[in-house]
Amino acid sequence: MSDLSLSHPPLRRGSHGALRSGRAAWGLALPSTLLLVGLMLVPVALIILMSFTDYSFGDSSFSWVGLENYQALVEDDVFWNALGNTLRYVAIVVPGAVGLGLLQAVLVHNLRHGRRLYQLLLFLPVTSTLVAMATVWKYLLHGNIGPVNLLLEAIGLSKLEFFGSPDLVLWALAIIGIWGLAGFNMVIFTAGLTSIPQDLYEAASVDGIEHPLDRFIRITLPMLAPTMVFVVITSSITAFKIFDTVAVLTKGGPQGASDVLLYTTYLEGFQYLRMAPAAAMTVIFLMIILGLALVQNLLLDRKAGKA
Amino acid sequence: MTSHAVTHPLVTLAGLTATLLAAPAMADKVTIEVLQAFPGHAHFHEAVAREFMAQNPDIEVKFRIGNGSYDETHQVMLRAAMTNRMPDVYHSGYHLLPEVVTHLAEKGKVISLDAYIAAEAPDFVSSNYAPSLFSQWQVDGTTWGIGFNASTPIFFVNGDLVSKAGGDPNALPDTWDGIIDLAGRISALEGDADGMAFDIHSWPDDWLWRALIIEQGAKIMAEDGRTVAFGDDHGVKALTLAKRMVDEGGMALRDFEQSRQQFAAGQIGFIMASPNSNRSFADLVGDKFELRTTTYPVSNKETGRIPTGGNAMMITAQDKAKQDAAWAYIKFASGPKGQEIAVLGSGYKPTNIAALAPDLLGKFYAENPNFNTTNLQIDRAAAWEGYPGTNGVEIWRAQRKIIGEVMTGAQSVEAGLAAMVETTNRLIAK
Repeated sequence: MSDLSLSHPPLRRGSHGALRSGRAAWGLALPSTLLLVGLMLVPVALIILMSFTDYSFGDSSFSWVGLENYQALVEDDVFWNALGNTLRYVAIVVPGAVGLGLLQAVLVHNLRHGRRLYQLLLFLPVTSTLVAMATVWKYLLHGNIGPVNLLLEAIGLSKLEFFGSPDLVLWALAIIGIWGLAGFNMVIFTAGLTSIPQDLYEAASVDGIEHPLDRFIRITLPMLAPTMVFVVITSSITAFKIFDTVAVLTKGGPQGASDVLLYTTYLEGFQYLRMAPAAAMTVIFLMIILGLALVQNLLLDRKAGKA
Repeated sequence: MTSHAVTHPLVTLAGLTATLLAAPAMADKVTIEVLQAFPGHAHFHEAVAREFMAQNPDIEVKFRIGNGSYDETHQVMLRAAMTNRMPDVYHSGYHLLPEVVTHLAEKGKVISLDAYIAAEAPDFVSSNYAPSLFSQWQVDGTTWGIGFNASTPIFFVNGDLVSKAGGDPNALPDTWDGIIDLAGRISALEGDADGMAFDIHSWPDDWLWRALIIEQGAKIMAEDGRTVAFGDDHGVKALTLAKRMVDEGGMALRDFEQSRQQFAAGQIGFIMASPNSNRSFADLVGDKFELRTTTYPVSNKETGRIPTGGNAMMITAQDKAKQDAAWAYIKFASGPKGQEIAVLGSGYKPTNIAALAPDLLGKFYAENPNFNTTNLQIDRAAAWEGYPGTNGVEIWRAQRKIIGEVMTGAQSVEAGLAAMVETTNRLIAK
């Protein structure tokens, strides 16, 4: 979630005598380089290679099949269903988690008293174990005896079968996803808010912009744009990675309405033991994530260039 | 073209992990590790093991627990076999026992029990196990497991709701029409109670689907053994019945764990479940309402059958000392005393006929009619078979989705059945 790209200051060789040669620099970088290669690059390369084979978990041999796994995916309804469900989930969670995070940040930021307390409380969901909390949510959203439905009924609405209806299950999962993500976004937005110079608001008052909504739209929001890009992208990546709540709560049901990309990949690879198609799905998943990261870099670089 | 370049690091890594994780075995004490599927069953497994260890101080029994379904634990087992992290005793769902044999017997990772049985007294099998059950633990005449739990599906009933809807808890209907009618009246009562729950659309394995077919006296597989036979009128009747439960019986399509919560909260009239829920429902319900159980209402009273659920213990230990210890544990756990402990802790049907003796379970059943219901349908109990090949788990996931679509009305019965037959045959052949 917080894999930000940190930019290192360029090493200045020889100027202070601290770094005598490139060898020392490489020596210092070696441990993390090895870890990066061993834990990230090699496994990814193996996965990419595996996606062109017919390897099944436990086999002692395999053969190359070219693009067969990808062709099979294109024709596989289960895959398209999973991809569609994942996109729908992302489309609900990202606006929800970004909007709620922003709302929380703005409301809490302007508090005179208890700001710390609110920030702490709103951040709590991020620190909780999602799997454990998910079971609580499952009870809260129970179609008949869940408190949320009792509340809906009390205000005269009809009950909703959150986990039983194929139309609602993604919404139920999205509620849990938003709940788990909004607090994190709030923290990032709060950092963004803090960096907005106060004199901008004072200058705006002089110009007669007094209404809080005006100030928000004309000053806060534009100044938060870089933060916004970052939050939207990281939220998208987190949402794309949805797996745990599905594995614990719905197992893809009802009727496949919550089959998502990573869960389908997991079933294919670790339940049905067909590693090669699972590897192909993983490659597609990686490309989506990589695409999002590239968009983020492009947008943020452009902002930085302008400034 | 073949290569070991891809598999090699994986295998090495797995081997290393296994070495690191394996506890150092004590010189004189044999430790066996048992894998079973259900976290909720840990307490009675442990109770059986405690008693066993008290009698066999030189053997220690440890447990590894699966993730709450036979099908997923089956895959855990297959992965364990590939990474050499095998347990020593494995509780396999009856329907997957043949698949375990197909996958692992050739590699010697699961061993036949015939040699151990031959070394016992000549009447060992006949005095302990009913032939109908025992045959389920065999594949082509070779015995691979001994049953630890057995069950046939029964209805748990909220007697209070039945009374309110004008029914008699002491004379519950024994036909589908009767139950659906009464369930419909329960859901029409004031309040939010659902009439019934038959959660086939979210059940973790195909037990209830098989029940809907074989209760009509029909067969799952065609004569050729490679295609399904339920594409006929029996399949239509099975799906129609499932849909009627929703349309007329006041059933809400809900996740099966949520159904159990709701039944325990007193908000469902009839819920189909394994008798292993007897203990937990009795504890959860307490005095909240009158808890009853009743037999599965088969449509064909002459030739209708119901599948026997449960699990058999298989020896997956690799060295002789552990295999011997595993057999000793299996013999005890499936013996009269082990079964008494397991049955009292769960509600399962005993797999051992000697456990029914008056001083063991006989008296208990006489005093606890809810627990005895599964014994009333023992004549109808049939094997819970699997599909040929090794795709049983995937087959059920595909079937379950279609059944759910038929029950919600998203697909017609005929279209759904055609899709089920096509998908199942394709996956069997895969």
